[in-house]
Amino acid sequence: MSIEMKPGPPATETTGQPQSPLATSAPPPARRRRRRLSPLSLLRWMLLLVATLAFTYPLLWLVSASLKPKSQVFDNKLVPETVQWSNFIEVWDAGPVLRWLFNSGVVSLMAALAVTFSSAFVAFGFAYFRFRLRGPLFGLLLATMMLPGAVTMIPVYLIWHQLGLIDTQVPLWANNLFGSAFYIFLMRQFFLGIPRELFEAARIDGCSHLGLFRRIALPLCRPALIIVFIFELQASWSDLLKPLVYLQTEEYFTMPRGLKQIVDGFALSGEYHWEIAMAATLVATLPMIVVFAFAQRYFLEGLATTARQG
Amino acid sequence: MRSTFLGLVAAATLLAGCAGVGGGTSSDSGGSGAGSTGTPTGTLKIMGFGGEDEVGQARIKAFKDAYGNVTVSNPKGDFDAQQFLTALASGNPPDLVYMDRNLIGTYAKKGAIVPLESCINDQKIDTSQYRDAAMRSVTLQDKVYGIPEFYVVTTNLVDAKSLQAAGIPTSDIQTKDWGALKATSAKLFKKNGNKIERIGYDPKLPEYFPLWATANGATIVKDDGSPNLNDPKAVEALSYTIGLIDDQGGWTSFKSFRDAFDIFGEKNPLSAGTVVAFPMENWYVNVLRDFLGGGLKLDSTAFTDHEGKPVSMVGGSAWAIPKGSKNPAAACAWAKTMTDKATWLKAADARIAKVKEDKSFFTGLFTANKAADEEIRAKYLTDVPDAGFKRAIDNFYATLDSAVALNPSPAGAEIDAAWRSAVTRALGGQPAQQALDQAQKEAEAAFSKANGNG
Amino acid sequence: MAERTGPGRLQRRESRAAYLFIAPWIVGFLVFTAGPMVASLWLSFTDYSLVEPAHAVGTANYQQLLDDPRVGRSLANTFVYAALFVPLGTVVALGLAMLLHGVGRASGFFRTVFYLPVMTPAVAAGAMFLLLLNGQRGLLNQVLGWFGVTGPNWTTDPAWLKPSLAIVSLWTVGGSIIIYLAALNNVPRQLYEAALLDGAGPVRRFVSVTLPMISGALFFTVITHTIAAMQMFDQAYTMFYGPQQKATASDESLVYMVYLFQNAFEFFKMGFASAMAWVLFVIILVITVVQVRLGNRFVYYEGGSTR
Repeated sequence: MSIEMKPGPPATETTGQPQSPLATSAPPPARRRRRRLSPLSLLRWMLLLVATLAFTYPLLWLVSASLKPKSQVFDNKLVPETVQWSNFIEVWDAGPVLRWLFNSGVVSLMAALAVTFSSAFVAFGFAYFRFRLRGPLFGLLLATMMLPGAVTMIPVYLIWHQLGLIDTQVPLWANNLFGSAFYIFLMRQFFLGIPRELFEAARIDGCSHLGLFRRIALPLCRPALIIVFIFELQASWSDLLKPLVYLQTEEYFTMPRGLKQIVDGFALSGEYHWEIAMAATLVATLPMIVVFAFAQRYFLEGLATTARQG
Repeated sequence: MRSTFLGLVAAATLLAGCAGVGGGTSSDSGGSGAGSTGTPTGTLKIMGFGGEDEVGQARIKAFKDAYGNVTVSNPKGDFDAQQFLTALASGNPPDLVYMDRNLIGTYAKKGAIVPLESCINDQKIDTSQYRDAAMRSVTLQDKVYGIPEFYVVTTNLVDAKSLQAAGIPTSDIQTKDWGALKATSAKLFKKNGNKIERIGYDPKLPEYFPLWATANGATIVKDDGSPNLNDPKAVEALSYTIGLIDDQGGWTSFKSFRDAFDIFGEKNPLSAGTVVAFPMENWYVNVLRDFLGGGLKLDSTAFTDHEGKPVSMVGGSAWAIPKGSKNPAAACAWAKTMTDKATWLKAADARIAKVKEDKSFFTGLFTANKAADEEIRAKYLTDVPDAGFKRAIDNFYATLDSAVALNPSPAGAEIDAAWRSAVTRALGGQPAQQALDQAQKEAEAAFSKANGNG
Repeated sequence: MAERTGPGRLQRRESRAAYLFIAPWIVGFLVFTAGPMVASLWLSFTDYSLVEPAHAVGTANYQQLLDDPRVGRSLANTFVYAALFVPLGTVVALGLAMLLHGVGRASGFFRTVFYLPVMTPAVAAGAMFLLLLNGQRGLLNQVLGWFGVTGPNWTTDPAWLKPSLAIVSLWTVGGSIIIYLAALNNVPRQLYEAALLDGAGPVRRFVSVTLPMISGALFFTVITHTIAAMQMFDQAYTMFYGPQQKATASDESLVYMVYLFQNAFEFFKMGFASAMAWVLFVIILVITVVQVRLGNRFVYYEGGSTR
């Protein structure tokens, strides 16, 4: 394939220049064509419907189970025979749930913010510059993803112990200040997709390296930034292992750790109240779903913004 | 890094002059471990215990009433090996840990928990109050490593409705004559083409392999902790029970069918008629109690050996003091209080109160404390409204004196893993003899390695 | 495109700037990664049990790796699982992303739907899938039954355990779908228009325009999926090796990380587990190097260069 790329002026929000054809994102073709219910379109929608059912069924099951009384939780019926809202009240009384949700929110937010900016920062270093050690260092970066975490967990725990930060929330997010290999890798891929001319033109205009980063790379890859933020928000929100080993005081627990307490107490060694365990699981999961449902709009908006640039 | 750190901890503790915190903080392993003189004070950090139900709450209250000077920190959640070992490895263990009794041997051998000699002496714990099988599970090489509580036993639970419909007397559900049981089970088995509809007798493999082996006269873990997995009687037991399963659809279908059971719900196997009989643990009666009105007709027969004597494996938990515990005195006092008769009686009171509130009935409390069991049974087990339930509870109580636990072993976890995978392999088609021979080899290797390390 | 290889001083300034940018990662690496990695390498030559101080045992652990049949077994299981999941996951995620790409405003709804599984706690997911995939009564076999297919006993038949795990993992490809969507949306419209003008049909457009333009994202997801697949733990553990189900687990579902976890935290053989971890590390390293080498030949970047 050989299609010529036409160089154009940089398209950034701050300069408000007319948009380069390169920075266009392809709006969904459906918007340009008339809405015809062609057989192809019908097939598409049917497939999406099937996929939706497949992907949401387990969650629907979870919602359903959380509303059932104890004796019906596993009765294989999607719609509860008896709806028992009191399960959620039981969950509320089972521990400082509001506090746990708050803790999870704070920790996840800090973790996500830290990792998004540090990873983007580092990724730019790997994507834009040419320097001798780039290859080996990037390989080293990739390599860090390959050693199973279970094995470095103990030495890392010892480090935090020496720092006196056990039973605080700091170990849950502080690692993210230094970037994370997965996200660095991801951002690097996106940065590499930016045409070099944009940077070179800016350099000619006297832009500093930091300026290249802030004014060109970041805005053009905003969707990627949002993706990284949301992914890490979600990962940090649902992480159980770190709070399990680092936190001992109930007040500091994050939601997954609190969830374990509830599930162990009510379901496993308790009175087998699986309905409370399911309700608690739902409470633990719902906030992220809501956040995501709102946030994913910004992926689209991020794309629309770059499209609007002229 | 570690020894310096632990040294610092030891120094700090000595400087703080806490009474009663003795050798538990030095970095030697084993030894007399938990020294505990004087009245316990300070903080007590517990790991692995929840105590959410009324039985747990009543006992916790009993401790707090008796020892007001101790601040109890009990982050709830079942025992998690990763959590515990990470804390231990970093020199930051809890003061007291709650775990399954069958883990005690392994953790004791590894030095993760300390012998309780001085704890028992100082707090004057009378270990004869606990049942023999429970004490045996927590004793390794003549040293006691845990204070036991709870005694989970098994007996046969039967769906009388299905039996009657099939015209078979309850007494046919018996484990004295294995041949007859096989025939009964086959008679009760129902299937529709490829899909199983009802299991006759579920031998509960692989979990209950030790039960069947013991009922057949085999001792799969010897007194010194060495494995004896391919004892001919054990092989025989395995072949027999696999035969039962093969008669009822074969393992993969059998297990899938069993996996889909709604054990805790209205359509539990005994109510829904999907299993006619199986050996089951005593806590299940509490679950079934809720469904007494709804068409469940429970009955029970004793699970016996070939002579007709009841036999059961025993499960349960124990309190143990981790190496490096900073407050072994309070930990010891806690263990003693939680398991003595007076506390159990208070717990039983709480249970009765709850049972009255729920308009239900008491189904027994199996504490591992002999005197407590007897007194609770005499005082509270008075009015079980249903004859079938009464028979079940009586059968459970009847096994208490003869129940056995697998002997603890320094290679306990590996022996466990070895026989479990042997049973799974045999269920998948490997001949029982071969499977257990291999398991024996693996277990012996682990045992000599564990023993060789002193 | 001219490369900026000016005089030495400029190059050095570039290098300095580069190192300033990646400095945060280097610091974090040295403190939190390099140290622990070296520690774990050292541990692999000891008999560390987490409870007692470690004693050096030379290469005994590595020797035992060769002797223990379960190590090879679990490694083979993991390979099979990865070989099932990575291609399947990529194809399914890309397919769904392409389906979504043509949709208008409703795509937001679908994005949430496809990402929902990623947000569901693994413990809950494991429990649900055990029910869904149950051979006798599960929903999957019921649905297959409508098409006249008799589904196997997914969760108990040793031959179908790894496919079951792959199905559970397929359910969580939402993250990749989103990445592909972003990449698809970055493909300039002009290319499609030009291709249409050249008379290219949909397949040709896909092969010549779409694939190369998203090859960067594909490269990323294939590599990360492979690394993740080789380290898969959550699904297998919650479905087959949790405290409730451990008893009946077949060796066919024993994936490497589960066996490693058991050795570390159930058998107290942290030294041995560390050796297992390093062997896995080397294996993944080799696989990834191969993938990167291949990828560099096929991946197209607008930014011009990859190395």
